[in-house]
Amino acid sequence: MTTDEPYRWLDAIANRREYIRDQLKGATPVFAFSRPEGILLFGVGSGQSKVFEIYDRLALAALGHPVDIEKIRQTVIEAAHLEGFTRAAEDVTIRRLLNFSLGPALKAGFEQIFSAPLMVECVFAEVGATPADDVLARVNFDGSYRFQAHGVAVGHTNPADETAAVEWLRAQLAGALTTPQLVRLALAAWRALTADKAFVPPDAATVASPSLAIEDRVIEAAWLERRGDMRLRYRPLTAAELS
Amino acid sequence: MNGDGDFLSLLPQTALTTARGDGKAVALEATTVFAFHYADGVIVAGDHRATAGNVVFSDRTEKILELDRHSLIAIAGSPAIAVEMARTLQTAFDFYRRSQLQPMSLQAKMRALSRLLHDNLPATLQGFGTVAPLFAGLDPATMRPSIYFYDPLGAQFEGVKHAGSGSGSGSIKSVLHFLEQWGSPTPEKMTLGEAVNLANRLLMTAAEFDTATGGVDPLRGDFATIKVLNGAGVRSITPAAQAAFWQEVKP
Repeated sequence: MTTDEPYRWLDAIANRREYIRDQLKGATPVFAFSRPEGILLFGVGSGQSKVFEIYDRLALAALGHPVDIEKIRQTVIEAAHLEGFTRAAEDVTIRRLLNFSLGPALKAGFEQIFSAPLMVECVFAEVGATPADDVLARVNFDGSYRFQAHGVAVGHTNPADETAAVEWLRAQLAGALTTPQLVRLALAAWRALTADKAFVPPDAATVASPSLAIEDRVIEAAWLERRGDMRLRYRPLTAAELS
Repeated sequence: MNGDGDFLSLLPQTALTTARGDGKAVALEATTVFAFHYADGVIVAGDHRATAGNVVFSDRTEKILELDRHSLIAIAGSPAIAVEMARTLQTAFDFYRRSQLQPMSLQAKMRALSRLLHDNLPATLQGFGTVAPLFAGLDPATMRPSIYFYDPLGAQFEGVKHAGSGSGSGSIKSVLHFLEQWGSPTPEKMTLGEAVNLANRLLMTAAEFDTATGGVDPLRGDFATIKVLNGAGVRSITPAAQAAFWQEVKP
């Protein structure tokens, strides 16, 4: 087959999309919440990390194949540091990285139908001076991306469940919440999304449950702190801070 | 996308370089920076003055620069090159930590600074780009802070108790040596407040004998640039905090 056979190319792309979605089914969701004190990123890993520092004010939460997550991570880190070194840290933004670096690279990789696809879904976060300045971006494996309004981003393999989880989380995040409360909220949404059925909003008792234990998995969470006097904003949460 | 964690190697791949020695830079030399151990860690301090010959170029220069949460540099020598070195190290340390998911070792950080100084050899030999910095870093394994000083060719030496660089550092090193021998308390047993006050007094002393060292004037609220490094990382001591310490002892 050659790529100048349009119908077969369309078939190949459709098959590729279906294949990637099928491969991603076992991956578990990641979350980012914009809050007055910063942006909280949350994931649940099983030996591999899911939440990463990218640059001074930028972080990534991703799900998918660990090797592909690593490729994306390294690509964005290199682009961010070259940009920051050539110009200034203030010039390194999620919008520019997605528009000019990661977005085109992911799309080109997805359309290279003779090479192995990148199986990864991402949430990028950039902390601003105020919550209104925060940027949350949801990036798909095919290079498409959208910026999330209202301070919540969820990365999940099922678009319908992801949308339902985002709407539920927005409502839950309306008031003031402590870090342990935010972690429990994210964990409750994580459990609902990983149950083998459509997303059902967790009840209050589940959200309030003090248990953070998940068999063979580890909770990962980090703040992108909003404090203006610090250059480095990324701070992973300790076990004590989670509970 | 090689991901080897070496930002210095990444720069030439993208036609970027850290070299700045084109022979046209204005030589700005003379300064005073120093570091010593106090009870809870290391204190690194410096004045704010940059000079070119007998001209005061600026009295608002920052010479104590945080490289990451566990290391900092005090620059002395040609500011254009020294600041660029600090920026390169800052990016290299951050890049390594983020790409490798672990902090760079203290030894590797010290070698990175040595390498930059060695690469600057042509400018040093031409006499306009000499840099002789101090470096303070925390060993991630022991969380113990150490002080190092460098010669302009890149050789590193540990300042076991203190180190100084710049035209005004001679008198400061003399006073620190005296206090380490006969002081009560010795600097390494001082509290943070005592150490901050000592740092400001040392700069006042250096300014008395060296015109290229900007002084400290507590009455006007002019204090040194002071950062501390201990197990909790790097922390700036703001002028307001220094003023409070100064008031406590009523010197």
